Amino acid sequence: MSVRSEQSRNAMKPTGWVLFWRTFMPYQLWRFVIVNIRMMVMIWKSHG
Amino acid sequence: MARVVILGAGVSGHTAAMVLRKKLSREHDVVVVTPNRRWNWIPSNIWVGVGLMGKDDVTFELAPIYERLGIDYRQAKGVELHPEGAGDAKHPFVTVEYTSDAQRGVREDLAYDYLINATGPKLNFAATPGLGPEGNSLSVCTFDHAAQTAEALRAAIERMKGGEKLTFVVGTGHGTCTCEGAAFEYVFNLEFEIRNAGVRDAARIVFLTNEAELGDFGVGGLQIQRGGYVVPSRSFAESLFVERGVEWIVGAHVSRVDPREVQYETLDGEMHTLAFDFAMLLPPFTGVGLRAVDRAGEDITAKLFAPNGFMRVDADYTAKPYEEWKARDWPKTYQSPLYGNVFAVGIAFAPPHALSRPRKTKNGTVVAPAPPRTGMPSGIMGRTVALSIADMITKGATSPTRHASMGEMGAACVASAGVGFWKGTAVSMTMFPVVPDYEKYPEAGRDLRHTVGEIGSAGHWIKRILHHLFIYKAKARPGWWMIPE
Ligand SMILES: Cc1cc2nc3c(=O)[nH]c(=O)nc-3n(C[C@H](O)[C@H](O)[C@H](O)COP(=O)(O)OP(=O)(O)OC[C@H]3O[C@@H](n4cnc5c(N)ncnc54)[C@H](O)[C@@H]3O)c2cc1C
Repeated sequence: MSVRSEQSRNAMKPTGWVLFWRTFMPYQLWRFVIVNIRMMVMIWKSHG
Repeated sequence: MARVVILGAGVSGHTAAMVLRKKLSREHDVVVVTPNRRWNWIPSNIWVGVGLMGKDDVTFELAPIYERLGIDYRQAKGVELHPEGAGDAKHPFVTVEYTSDAQRGVREDLAYDYLINATGPKLNFAATPGLGPEGNSLSVCTFDHAAQTAEALRAAIERMKGGEKLTFVVGTGHGTCTCEGAAFEYVFNLEFEIRNAGVRDAARIVFLTNEAELGDFGVGGLQIQRGGYVVPSRSFAESLFVERGVEWIVGAHVSRVDPREVQYETLDGEMHTLAFDFAMLLPPFTGVGLRAVDRAGEDITAKLFAPNGFMRVDADYTAKPYEEWKARDWPKTYQSPLYGNVFAVGIAFAPPHALSRPRKTKNGTVVAPAPPRTGMPSGIMGRTVALSIADMITKGATSPTRHASMGEMGAACVASAGVGFWKGTAVSMTMFPVVPDYEKYPEAGRDLRHTVGEIGSAGHWIKRILHHLFIYKAKARPGWWMIPE
């Protein structure tokens, strides 16, 4: 699983803490609500 | 009584047909001409391509739906437009050629009062020698292609389980491709499935793209406000590639695909080769090759269509340098400037210019991601044009009454990065507007309050729900019209 090292060196890498939140159910349920609201706003703004 | 003919039953054409049928009384005819028997929710072809879904999960038969709705369905393809009629007959018509088993090859002239061209793209594999399922690489653009790709992936995983080390190349098969988002989704779903199969260490995965940098997506990238910073989408994209161990090659024009080797040129003019065991490379798109003829029988294809085969509409097509491109160049009504009863929506209309800065390699080869016209804008265009036509028919409006410019419209995109209720994730993005508008938003070209993105399980759940919701809507089940595009 090796990415060319210069590509890897120049990119931000997520810490374990960030990765944990990405699939931590209670937090993701909250994000589910927020992302849905955001998308509804976008749909509302775009259906002129 | 009026007759509206819609060419194409994809995202935009099917939406237009359903909205028109709902708006117009039965004395008016809504006719759909499309060569496909089955409707396909194309975004989920990504999941077909990794073997997680089958044909019946992403497609359904169109005929029963159209019969129930009262839409006249012809399994045929449009071949020639006659917007002025022919000879003494002044009524416009379109020549169609049937593709159904019963009538294959039979031609018919269908008269119309209004025509919507929603024919989407021709998958132009021929642009690159060896590209595509009939050549040496795979695709996920149709469900058949995606099913074939899933088979190849399954076989590759078996080989890795047997101890072999393999190279996977995913990306764009030409310098002018669009739809980089689909390649992005596919590479992360592939990586996820290979990891799930326990053979990740045996796989080298390379993303080969015409984007000058990761996160461009053919829209010139995004500036996203996050954590107190305004961050380019490139940073987030590169971060995900590094996290998942996927290498990348940017600014690449693929010039040839041999049985186990891809040849490509990069922006610095260098020519390269990359050996692969599995390659999924998207084709560039062109128009489907409709011809147009005037009343005297003269070919007027070049007047109605741009050289790439997409139909000219109410956009500003004046050639100008990148720095002078404006959001207001983009069309608002999708009406043909030559014939007021002809419209083009979705991928079928000719964009006035790209969104991503076009580049050339040192040898002069064009590497210019074409602008994506994704599902949400395509659906909105279909609905908007349908409503305009309904107003023209029922209220006597003399010009289109509705507007839907990509310079004033946003998009919500959910890009899958792996499937699973607990461990699956997807990138959820919203951007406003789709076409950057530096006059209105000088800092980033887009409204930073509405241009946001994040990755997590929530995105995956949304992607899954959207799959069911859009298929429900496309089947015109109760309340379908309340589901927005
Ligand atoms: C693999 C993949 C994944 C994608 N994922 C996403 C995603 O996650 N989100 C998103 O928003 N977008 C996604 N897209 C883009 C999305 O699929 C398109 O935006 C959308 O399909 C465009 O709609 P359309 O109606 O213009 O064209 P299409 O949906 O392609 O429909 C065109 C229709 O015209 C028909 N046709 C062709 N030739 C003729 C002819 N001569 N006469 C009559 N009919 C004809 C075709 O058979 C088809 O029915 C993806 C695309 C691909 C390829």
